[in-house]
Amino acid sequence: MNVTRRTLFKIAAAGCAGVTCLPHAGAVMLNEPTEKLGLLYDATRCIGCKACVTACSEANGLVPDAGSSDGMYQAPESLNAHTKNIIKLYRASDGHEWSYMKQQCMHCLDPACVIACPLSALTKSDFGIVQWNGTTCLGCRCCQIACPFNIPKFEWSQINPRVVKCELCRDRLALGKEPACTAVCPRQAVIFGKRSDLLDAAHRRIASNPGKYYQDRVYGEKDGGGTQSLYLSHVPFSKLGLPDLGDRSVASGVRDVQESIYQNGLTPALVYTTLVAVTTHFWREHTRHAAEEAEDLGLEEQL
Amino acid sequence: MRVCWRRMLQVASPLLTKPFWFMTALAVLGLLLCVYREFAGLYSVTALNDGYSWGLFKNFNVTTLTALGSGGYAMALITYVFNRTRYHPLMRTALLTSILSYTVGMMALAVDIGRPWNLFFMADPWAWNPHSILWEVAFCMTAYVMIALDFENLAPLLERLEHDPFPALVRDVARYAKRFVKHAYPYGVALALALPTMHQSSLGSLMLLGARRVHPLWQTPLLPLLYVLMAFILGIAFVELVLMASCAVWRRPIDRFMLASLSNIVSWAALAWLAIRFADLVKRGQLDAVLRFDFYSFLFLAETLMIGVPALALRSKPLRHTPPKGFAMLGILTLGGMLYRYTPTTIAFRPGEGYHYFPSVAELLISIGFIALAMVGYLFTVKRFAILPATLDMAVLATNRSATKGQAA
Amino acid sequence: MPSVIKAKSKNHAPSVVDRRTFLRTITQAAAAVGLSATTARRMAGALAKGQRPSVIWLHYQECTGCTESLLRTSHPGLAELVLDLISLDYHETLMAAAGHQAEAALHSAMEKNAGKYICIVEGAIPLAQHGTYMRIGGRTGADIVKEVAKPAALVIGLGSCASWGGLPSADPNPTGAVGVQDLLPDKKVIKLPGCPANPYILLGVALQFATMGQLPQLDNEGRPLFAYGRTIHEHCPRRAHFDAGRFAVQFGDAGHRQGYCLYKLGCKGPATHASCSTNHFCEVVDAWPIGAGAPCFGCTEKSLAFRAPMYQTIEITRPQPPATYPGITAEHGSVSAVATGVAGLAAGVVLGAGVKIARVLQDKTLTDGAKGGKA
Repeated sequence: MNVTRRTLFKIAAAGCAGVTCLPHAGAVMLNEPTEKLGLLYDATRCIGCKACVTACSEANGLVPDAGSSDGMYQAPESLNAHTKNIIKLYRASDGHEWSYMKQQCMHCLDPACVIACPLSALTKSDFGIVQWNGTTCLGCRCCQIACPFNIPKFEWSQINPRVVKCELCRDRLALGKEPACTAVCPRQAVIFGKRSDLLDAAHRRIASNPGKYYQDRVYGEKDGGGTQSLYLSHVPFSKLGLPDLGDRSVASGVRDVQESIYQNGLTPALVYTTLVAVTTHFWREHTRHAAEEAEDLGLEEQL
Repeated sequence: MRVCWRRMLQVASPLLTKPFWFMTALAVLGLLLCVYREFAGLYSVTALNDGYSWGLFKNFNVTTLTALGSGGYAMALITYVFNRTRYHPLMRTALLTSILSYTVGMMALAVDIGRPWNLFFMADPWAWNPHSILWEVAFCMTAYVMIALDFENLAPLLERLEHDPFPALVRDVARYAKRFVKHAYPYGVALALALPTMHQSSLGSLMLLGARRVHPLWQTPLLPLLYVLMAFILGIAFVELVLMASCAVWRRPIDRFMLASLSNIVSWAALAWLAIRFADLVKRGQLDAVLRFDFYSFLFLAETLMIGVPALALRSKPLRHTPPKGFAMLGILTLGGMLYRYTPTTIAFRPGEGYHYFPSVAELLISIGFIALAMVGYLFTVKRFAILPATLDMAVLATNRSATKGQAA
Repeated sequence: MPSVIKAKSKNHAPSVVDRRTFLRTITQAAAAVGLSATTARRMAGALAKGQRPSVIWLHYQECTGCTESLLRTSHPGLAELVLDLISLDYHETLMAAAGHQAEAALHSAMEKNAGKYICIVEGAIPLAQHGTYMRIGGRTGADIVKEVAKPAALVIGLGSCASWGGLPSADPNPTGAVGVQDLLPDKKVIKLPGCPANPYILLGVALQFATMGQLPQLDNEGRPLFAYGRTIHEHCPRRAHFDAGRFAVQFGDAGHRQGYCLYKLGCKGPATHASCSTNHFCEVVDAWPIGAGAPCFGCTEKSLAFRAPMYQTIEITRPQPPATYPGITAEHGSVSAVATGVAGLAAGVVLGAGVKIARVLQDKTLTDGAKGGKA
């Protein structure tokens, strides 16, 4: 049989399609904006090829960060104003344990940055994506203080600075494509899909590989109130820079304190009316005394 | 003869002194650097980074220095709510320190904001996020400065407008305005008490956002309470320090009895504050962290000692009545209180490993510039208006002198 | 060194070779397989003494590709090899003899060099149906192996077929093809898998043994480490593209045209031990699969070649990462010494002012003055 280039093409396409039979959404369901979408990153599958880093810069129109490589390579050292996604390496000091770590916005279910933002520049919108809108952003960087994962980055050197972070390639989703990082990953170490599906897939992996995954749990299922970027790892999550947050979101803690103090504005109203009552009561007497004293002394009354 | 503050009187020293020019120079330098910042981005004048994204401007000039500027708030509470009207002569000083400290604080905030052209959206209710603590702080502080503080500080200005040789129209308007202010004063004072209670506590709530990134010795749901109480304490303490310093510099008589009774209030309030703090630490099981003797433990102990030792020392009546000792104790207490306000925002805030922050030279100069600007404002105002407290004798002397001057003219 | 000097003839039928060419040939052959100049001189010395080792080359189920690849060498070229460097006493493709003459040559070579000859095996040996699928001169392949290869001083399995069965052994392996080691369990067989094997690996092993009596270091599968110690992935010229995430996704796409990594097209390089990435074929640069834009199909590996689908990506057993990745934490911000100084200065000024004011406050005339003080 004469193997033409066309035949090879077909075989290649079939082969690649066959490999990509892992659970992921493929075409995004754009008619269900309330469905939460997210990522599942399996650190045991990642080979550190950094295809996702390159793909993310290209898809988001970011200038590659050369880091300390003298402008030779794209080598960001951490997330920053030019880098929305990064692969980092954790290596134990004695070298016995190591893992790659993909870092990008966690798209929390109850984001701290959203509650912190004074003019609602950061909102949790369609598909649960935490997105930044520059129209009202003050550049106050409350979001940076609030985010427990230290994700939002700020363009410090710009006169018109933006807040830069992963937004799950919203523009690509609108065209029915996956986020760039999940589309390019050669080992399907990071996959895209509905959060519920991803959790199912993650639990299936844990169940069929007992002892492989740290604490047999998915980071982000409940951590920090739950996130849409989920993690599986064979090393402790804290070593990968994923903090131990407990099950409550930062936002809920803040909300509780604020609500208990302010009671939806009732407290300030009560406080003000009480103060008015007290001050007006004492003021009458005070002005009377002051007027009397001024007359006695022959000096003008001083408010 | 016991000195007794009964009235408020202008300082008769010349305005354009060497210290005045020095302060003006620092202020101008700071403002020029601010202009540069607007054209060159925050990176050019600060050492802020993505971990420590709030630095000197927000955490010191706003959070810490407005606590010092809570004198208007604290004194109004004592004088008009608890009806201790004998402190009335101190009110204008307290209100002046407040308006100056808040105004330069808001200026520092405006410089720190990365996209200041969007500040107009603060007036757009559809853009508001009322759950945001910074929104609450900004809103409240703006309302406080622009409405309440301005209102409260009108009196000395109106007085001068009414009595100095201005055109008749101006003097009439001033007279009517004074009457209005007198009538509306309690409502204004009530607002000037409600607003700071809200935003000074919210300055504490801001660091609730930091969650576990703020060291557990400082992170507590009681942050709002501790912050507003410390604002009360620092407000009074700072007013006392300003009064004592002003009297020392311009050789005016000091009413040590009035100051002593205020120090008494400060002392009790500080002890109550410490009690709440320790009760909170016990409840959250953090007492062992106090004695761990690592960096944070030492910081906590320093802060506690700087607040506790003066608070205890000020329990002594003779000490309270001795201005130099009172000044020293209040000074240490103020430093300790400022450290408390600043620590959870920066020193005890751990954004992650690898992040370091110390303000850059330009940042320090801008911050100092704003402080200098406030001092210039203070110097100008106390020497042109009747702000600082004085005895009855001094007031009578001054009135007679101006009367003879008027007669001569 | 005896002088074997005659003018180099121009018509490719050298009977003797001049010394310079001789030395150069040996040096090139030695260098091609990484042996040093000293070794090369020793090899030359041994060879010049006329000690040409006897080589008996057996063919089984093969395509003759390994022999063909040997034809495309030039240092030494095949002619120099067989005429001056080794004594190729039996080679079914190259020898002029045929039939009984060929058999006679085989037996006389075995007798004359008993225990000293090198037996190179090319092709897999069928064992099914009592080995009937291959007979030469009436004897089955297995018999010939026992007869010829067993008494050899060194057995080299050349090519994947001889190493582990190669193409004939692909599922369902109807002929029961196996590599030569399976028939010689007690004998150390050096395996040079590849489809075809790179001829310079054979030259290096054979000459090293012939001249110095040494064998190169072998891995646990009997393959010389100098050629099979690394995977293609570890020494691939396209590795930078892999590391940067630049992949060809379809044949002929922009990435493919730019020479990007072929991993996503099913390259088995990460799991294939071979030297093709540095040792190209036909002495043409980039004359090897990946160089030509085709993914490696793992021809040296029994688990991959003719087993794993050609365009299916393989699992990469997580390679140890180099230190060039960013750590989990990176350093941000620094403390400026000048700023510390300025801050210290400011603090000092404030404290100094405080001390001065405290001193002034000690003046009792301020607090209990007889006069009312300045107005």
